[in-house]
Amino acid sequence: MKFSVTKEKLLEGLQQVQNVVSTRTTLPILSNVLLQANENAVHLTTTDLDVGVRGSFEAEVEKKGATTLPARRLFNIVRELPSSEIQVDVDGKNTASIRSGQSFFKILGLPEEEFPPLPKFENAKAVTIPQKDLRDGLRRTSYAISTDETRYVLNGVLFSFKENKLILVATDGRRLAMVDIELEFPRSHEADIIVPTKAVTELQRLLTDDGEVKVSMGSGQIAFDLNNTLLVSKLIEGNYPNYRQVIPSEAKERVTLERETFLNSLRRVSLLASDKSNSIKLNFSKNNIEITANTPEVGEAKESLPVAYKGREFSIAFNPEFLMAPLRNLTEDEVFLDLIDEMSPGVLKIQTPFLYVLMPMRISS
Amino acid sequence: MKEKCAKLWQKLSAALKPQVSADTFKRWFSAVELIEATDNSLTFRVPNNIYQFWIESNHMSALQAAVITAFGGPRAVKFSLPSGSSGDIGAEDAAALKQMAPELVRETKAAGSVLGLNPRNTFESFVVGPNNEIAHAASLAVGQSPARTYNPLFIYGGVGLGKTHLMQAIGQYVWAKKKTTKVIYLSSELFINEFIDAIQHSNLVKFRKRYRQSDLLLIDDIQFLGGKERSQEEFFHTFNTLFDGHKQIVLSSDRPASEIANLEKRLVSRFEWGLTAELQPPDIETRMAILRMKASTMQIKLRDEVFEFLANRIRTNVRRLEGALMRVASFASLSGKELTQEVVEHLLKDILQEEARHSITIEQIQRRVAEHFDVRLADMTSKRRPASIAFPRQVAMYLARELTKASLNEIGDAFGGRDHGTVMHACKLVKKRMHEQDSLRQTISFIDSSLQR
Repeated sequence: MKFSVTKEKLLEGLQQVQNVVSTRTTLPILSNVLLQANENAVHLTTTDLDVGVRGSFEAEVEKKGATTLPARRLFNIVRELPSSEIQVDVDGKNTASIRSGQSFFKILGLPEEEFPPLPKFENAKAVTIPQKDLRDGLRRTSYAISTDETRYVLNGVLFSFKENKLILVATDGRRLAMVDIELEFPRSHEADIIVPTKAVTELQRLLTDDGEVKVSMGSGQIAFDLNNTLLVSKLIEGNYPNYRQVIPSEAKERVTLERETFLNSLRRVSLLASDKSNSIKLNFSKNNIEITANTPEVGEAKESLPVAYKGREFSIAFNPEFLMAPLRNLTEDEVFLDLIDEMSPGVLKIQTPFLYVLMPMRISS
Repeated sequence: MKEKCAKLWQKLSAALKPQVSADTFKRWFSAVELIEATDNSLTFRVPNNIYQFWIESNHMSALQAAVITAFGGPRAVKFSLPSGSSGDIGAEDAAALKQMAPELVRETKAAGSVLGLNPRNTFESFVVGPNNEIAHAASLAVGQSPARTYNPLFIYGGVGLGKTHLMQAIGQYVWAKKKTTKVIYLSSELFINEFIDAIQHSNLVKFRKRYRQSDLLLIDDIQFLGGKERSQEEFFHTFNTLFDGHKQIVLSSDRPASEIANLEKRLVSRFEWGLTAELQPPDIETRMAILRMKASTMQIKLRDEVFEFLANRIRTNVRRLEGALMRVASFASLSGKELTQEVVEHLLKDILQEEARHSITIEQIQRRVAEHFDVRLADMTSKRRPASIAFPRQVAMYLARELTKASLNEIGDAFGGRDHGTVMHACKLVKKRMHEQDSLRQTISFIDSSLQR
């Protein structure tokens, strides 16, 4: 195998796939990247057996072939190369010679046969989604994924394909984020699947503003085909809990808030929320919200936020981090906060179908 | 039983209603059913796992408060999901699984038995400190991807430091994740007994099949294999079969593999093949964390001074630490008396005495200081007094004064029959020099902390 390529293209190609490479593993082949050179492109594949990514870059291929090379090492070398022209020559023993300007590197690889193939998705159910929709949807939900490994069904985002809608849900038991995406697909493609956190993180990196992504669902596996990049992942086995149970049916009070102003106020006041109780209080009164935090033996913070509010006066406390997370990941100027009373969950909404349920904290007084 | 439960639930509901909002009660608790009530635990049946997740995360304190109001004392709360196809079986939470495990095992022994795993021994209930970080991380890694990271995993450490806890946590974690995994947990003593039994009744084939077909084999207290030659041979083959079949093996011992007496070389080398992780006695912060965690799961409230006292005085053994906490807590709840230091000290007389025997001796101090300053141990007691020897000797005297209860005279005697004035002078001098030199202060605190462990 022999090809020449610009440093930029090679680096870009490696960046797409190298995050998947596992750092600790007893299978050395999994820390390698598979390179397959054909006509005028080189395909790159990495996998940790749970998630796999396949990308490619254009190159002048002199001799076709395939090999695997240590991914991280290759990436570090390419990043430091002095010239923009790079020649890679791999011999029959999987030893790669990399030439660029005055530099020469020789790295030892492993035969391509040892590399575990990515699963095939023939006759799988396929649905096409605009990349932007999926990217925004994941951005608005993925922060609520649970990291508690004993509740492993919650360690991912639920993709629920139902009635010409894709519903994305993430929850950790204290909050829940949900997004609807309008889609068209046959009834036979309806399914509930849980995509693990690692795949969601990688997918968010790969998705762009343009184009579409083809989602293929096999048994226990899922593939996201983004034209020139492919991400394959195992699904989390098990049934996602009935999230609808969590969503309050009615709201007593609604306030409209400017997202950025609200977020900035919260960020400032939360500086004085203690690690222990870690809560901030919202005191609602006529046309005003007072945001307060106080930590005994440290101090307190207070900030007033003028809003259009005509409901009854009451106070509710939230975990500031949980309240700020959706505000950070939304892009809308306006958000709506629906509340019932100080003991019932608050719901954050925007104009488009998005919903964030957050449990209040007990006010100790 | 059913009627009794229904009555209890009525009582509990009445206590719970004021604790939560009406909507919350209707949404989360109206579908809950009390199915089992004992003196120390309550089991609730919930329609599916979202009830358990949400109640556990958000309404546990209200529920516990209601339990105390209704029954006069705290109970362990468990959740049970309906079995069969009606619920989200695949999505059961680990906690629910664990408490269902014993029954399940009895029924489906062949399918996936996790015999003898204590549901309390999970990763969540394991307090991580610098003393056990590596062992914990390694165990978690093994739990997450068995046979792919560290195989075999060899955990060793003294009594009551969490070897069994970690092993059982791995077993339960793996099993909760995938119920078809065949997990076997047993002590090496049980392994030996079963082996002898198998020879006696000549059903070795069945014995071999049982162990060699497991996906995860956890063997506790492997040091008892020492000196049992035939058992070692049998275990050697079991080990090889599992290892070659990419099955995870986890072993624990009270000492490193190489120090187990009468253990064959080939076994020693195999035990050291994967990762060896040591558990050390917890430091003071970790001991505090363990006490607080234990107290909160047992629903007992004690004053900070009591925690501090316990953590300070019981250093070597977590099991003993928990025993002491239990004793103090039960005394407090039975007698209703204020817990002063004297009371606690009296209560724990025997434990503290036992601990004191483990406390630091002057000889240990001398050895450690000699080691650190690279002088001979004999120099600690000799009459020679060049500065390179005299100063370490003074440091050792100072530490002996600080860390032991020995009198000045006793310390003087231990240092080659010096009188109490010499010791006092040494203490003063070292204190003064510590004040002047940061580096010396650091050195001494380093020696101090290495002795405290």
